Amino acid sequence: MTNAQLDTPVLILGGGVAGLAAAVDLARRGVAATLIEREPRLGGRASQFCCKATEACARCGACRLGELLAQAAQLPQITIYTAALAVAAQPQNDGWQVDLAPQPGGEIGPGAGRPLRERTTLNTQAVILAVGGGAFNPAGKTRFGHGRVQGVFSALELEAMLSQGALGPDGLAPAKVAFIQCVGSRDASLGRLWCSRVCCGYALRMGRVIRKLLPDSEVTFFHMDVQDYGRAWEDELPLMRHQMRFVRAMPGEVTAGDGGPQVTYALAGEQAQKEGFDLVVLSVGLGPPNGASALGELFGAAKDDDGFLTADGGPAGVFVAGAAAGPRSLNESIVHAGLAASAAAVRVASLTEARHG
Amino acid sequence: MAKLSLLWVDTPGLEDLDPALVAKAAGMALDQGGLLEAAVVTTSQEQAPAAVRQRLMGLPVAWLELAAEVGGGPEAHRLARAAVAVSRAAGRAAKGTLPPVYAPQPAQSVLVAGAGYSALAAAWEAAAMGHPVTLATPFDSVDQAGADDDPEAVSLLAAQLPAQVDLAPNSELTRLTGAAGGFNAWLSTNGDAPQTYGAVFLAPSGELVVGCEVDGLDPALCRPVSGLNPEDFAGPEDGWLHVAVLAGTAEAVPSYSFSAAMQAALALAERPKVQVSLLFSEARVAAPGGEKLFRDCREAGVLAVRVGPGKLEVRQGGRELAWADPLLGEELELAPAAIVLAEQATAARPAWLDNDLLVKPWDELVPDNPRLAGGRTSRTGLFITGALRGTSPGEARRDEAASAAAAMHQALTGKVVPMPAVRDNFCASCLTCVRTCPHGVPRYTVDHIQCAPAGCVACGACAAECPAEAIAPPSWGNPEMFSSLEWGLALAPEPKMVLFACAASGMPAVTSLSAQGHQWPAGLVIYPLVCAARMSQLLLLRALEMGAQRVLVAGCHPGNCRSITGNHKAMAKIASLSGELAALGLPTDALEFLPLASNQTRELASAVRAMAQKAGEE
Amino acid sequence: MRLNDCDPGFKHEVAAEPGGAGIRACFACAACSARCPVGANRPAYDPRRIIRLTLLGRREEVLASPLIWLCSSCYSCGEVCPQQVRFTEVLTAIKNIAAREGHAPPSAKITAELLAKQGRLLEVTDFENDKRSGLGLPPVQQRPEDFQAILGLKPSEGEAGEEPR
Repeated sequence: MTNAQLDTPVLILGGGVAGLAAAVDLARRGVAATLIEREPRLGGRASQFCCKATEACARCGACRLGELLAQAAQLPQITIYTAALAVAAQPQNDGWQVDLAPQPGGEIGPGAGRPLRERTTLNTQAVILAVGGGAFNPAGKTRFGHGRVQGVFSALELEAMLSQGALGPDGLAPAKVAFIQCVGSRDASLGRLWCSRVCCGYALRMGRVIRKLLPDSEVTFFHMDVQDYGRAWEDELPLMRHQMRFVRAMPGEVTAGDGGPQVTYALAGEQAQKEGFDLVVLSVGLGPPNGASALGELFGAAKDDDGFLTADGGPAGVFVAGAAAGPRSLNESIVHAGLAASAAAVRVASLTEARHG
Repeated sequence: MAKLSLLWVDTPGLEDLDPALVAKAAGMALDQGGLLEAAVVTTSQEQAPAAVRQRLMGLPVAWLELAAEVGGGPEAHRLARAAVAVSRAAGRAAKGTLPPVYAPQPAQSVLVAGAGYSALAAAWEAAAMGHPVTLATPFDSVDQAGADDDPEAVSLLAAQLPAQVDLAPNSELTRLTGAAGGFNAWLSTNGDAPQTYGAVFLAPSGELVVGCEVDGLDPALCRPVSGLNPEDFAGPEDGWLHVAVLAGTAEAVPSYSFSAAMQAALALAERPKVQVSLLFSEARVAAPGGEKLFRDCREAGVLAVRVGPGKLEVRQGGRELAWADPLLGEELELAPAAIVLAEQATAARPAWLDNDLLVKPWDELVPDNPRLAGGRTSRTGLFITGALRGTSPGEARRDEAASAAAAMHQALTGKVVPMPAVRDNFCASCLTCVRTCPHGVPRYTVDHIQCAPAGCVACGACAAECPAEAIAPPSWGNPEMFSSLEWGLALAPEPKMVLFACAASGMPAVTSLSAQGHQWPAGLVIYPLVCAARMSQLLLLRALEMGAQRVLVAGCHPGNCRSITGNHKAMAKIASLSGELAALGLPTDALEFLPLASNQTRELASAVRAMAQKAGEE
Repeated sequence: MRLNDCDPGFKHEVAAEPGGAGIRACFACAACSARCPVGANRPAYDPRRIIRLTLLGRREEVLASPLIWLCSSCYSCGEVCPQQVRFTEVLTAIKNIAAREGHAPPSAKITAELLAKQGRLLEVTDFENDKRSGLGLPPVQQRPEDFQAILGLKPSEGEAGEEPR
């Protein structure tokens, strides 16, 4: 059986914000692209993120997925396949030949994209890896009780809970909520010696959303340092320090107590103490993409010391966009994709020129 | 080119609707080919067959998200909503309001005013897409780096500049008017005559300034991070030389600034018998490699000292530092031999930017708005990048230039760019549109309003505010909107309601809900807008007059509007009208604004449900 | 206290001692203090504080402190430490310096004497070995020579030229 054949100037792997933004930026430059997403649905991790606006927009960027999906659906230069996995890749004269295999579960949804139906061989001049970062699995930090202690959630789970309205007057109404920062980042013992950049921003903003939904709730923020996060951040921080309790200490452990999870922590100059909460949120950090090694094998993509993908030192015609290249917020990933799109467009233009002239 | 009439494509979710019935309900017949100047396709673009899409490329096409606008519910209601959507599109085509559209001109010239990495990156990007570029730099040569740039990266990029970049050394931008496709730029080297450009990048080179450290330090001890020579430092054989590095003690510094301070601390710590104390209120390690650098510093012996913001005391004529150590609960003092101060990048704002008559105030021009990330400003075609915008030095500025360039290229070569239609005989030259347009599109030239050819995004702010109905983006004038709204409300069963939905927030939420099979209330007319800025008091009142019991405007959250104040304006209009409703015998909550994000489908569904319940109870 | 009067070399001295290498990596997150079972009973004992004083170079204060001898070597601190400071071992390094400078408490001396004499803290008598043989276990050997070598009381077997066993 021979595969279906497709030619595309640029192949984009990953249908999250970075991949979609790369596709849209290429289209803005007049370059056609084919985007493949291995899941049945587009959106990547951002599709689970909640809007963190309270009285005003919190600039989290979660809404920008909708904007990108709408743009991708409207731009004729963009072709999207969902439930499509790159299973083999070979460099050829001026680009790559990539074999795509359909994955189970693809459905035609609204907007951009349709499922890949058959094995397809795709010839392309440039490849953009926009596969996203991997979120730290909090089970790797057993002492914080995720999966063992009831009432302990990862921040990703909280995003989904807030999106679905599970928290609030009509749902769960925790009186005391704790965020524990740097779970899986700034941690040499896990071999993850980097700051994940985004967690202070999302945690404090979700804390503020909880305070708005449940004005009587108390939110505690266990942290080491509050990182910078965008332009208005320094102006917002003082106010957030009034809305939430900032505790500069990393807890030792989270255990099951009578009424809910208990957090053990030590304040400077004080004995360690246990404090009960109704909800403990672990602010999991961003790490290298889960499929980094598979992509490395497929495309020979280069990796930096921490395992994030990089275009530097990698094979010609392979570019990286978004959190796959290092921890990035949604807004940063979208802007970062602009550079990958630029590099890919320049390559396509020069190859086309070489071919015709 | 073949004239296309109403085209109906089989669309999932609309199979049960008879296109002929929809067309009939919309007051037109399918075979009425001559009616439509422009193509109207009653499905979303993505669902149209590739052949159709191909054929329509470059044509002014109104792609309707019909599946979303129709939604679920009994067939009669869905038919009614489909009819509204079709009639709206047909109406605007019939009135000829789709044109004028901006006729694309390939590769218009681009002005880059500035210097250093950001300016070079912008010039490189614009040139790479075939635009003639003028790089106006205040310096003698283009490879001069800003104080906050990596000089090597700058000379590398300068060497790569393509030949079509026209260099204008010793030249500064002194005034700018217009918007995308039609900027007038005055350059100091060009006398009084403005040059015309399609797009403008403003990227002045950065300076490094000592930001927020404490006052009262002995200047003789102090030097900025960039002025440090670690070789100058070595301790005595029998003791230690103490150096303090202040990196955000009064107020935390950005992570790039903290990283530079850590580099300085590390270089000092590697000198013989030098003890470095790095003082800060927050360890800002979020820049790439920051956490590793922080650990390297500590391993090299740098003492990390957290002080409460603003809690560092200066004593002994600025030669001694004192603070309460939070870990020990006691006061510590340090008399350093030198004090190194962290710096932040900044760029002077050109004076002409502060002319509010020509340019929006800074906070409206470059708001901290996620929709204007990547160098964009509210003025279409004007990009402000690098230090002036506050973008971190380094690679982030390269990303920003690339992202901005794609938007620039699209604006200048876009196939369908709306162009506000101005009816000169209605215009009273009151300049309301000039003051209102968030994107700087209308200008008063000689004796009439002239619109920049590629700057309009069809937000409709001008149409909402113009007291003479003299200006509107194509299809967003009062007559077209009133007639399509009337169609919809006439067909909707009681209780009638209108949901005006912004294209960036309300409409995507409507689309997702409809795709999930959400059942909209029978009497709900969904009216898509580009932006809530289009809401006028007249439109709100007309909706009520046409029989709507409730009107909900779903727009973006404050601070998220692409047209900056569209949502604020709608809110203000609703608030002021609401006070008058009782006098008209209407419920005071008949008009409401719902701040929404595109993914807040639950919030939209419950707001519509609440509205329907209130309307049903009356 | 003035940092100019402290000894910045102390942290490097501790780091150079076997087991002390991790001391400078600490970024004061307090996870160790939260988990320390000794601190739970003796509030004055706080790993983070001992590290801080060491990093500041308050040499005499640390070495003379009776607190440094309270560690129960449970390794909880090391387990939770995100920077791999390995405080139990760091503290051993500090205690070794303290002992060399005569700060060891009497109990430490008694411990050393017992080890030198018996090769273990608890003397093994016929009582223990009878019980072990009843369970089918071999008798426990007391080998004080190894400890005497460690404690510098006599040359080790290896140094004496024999094959180590």
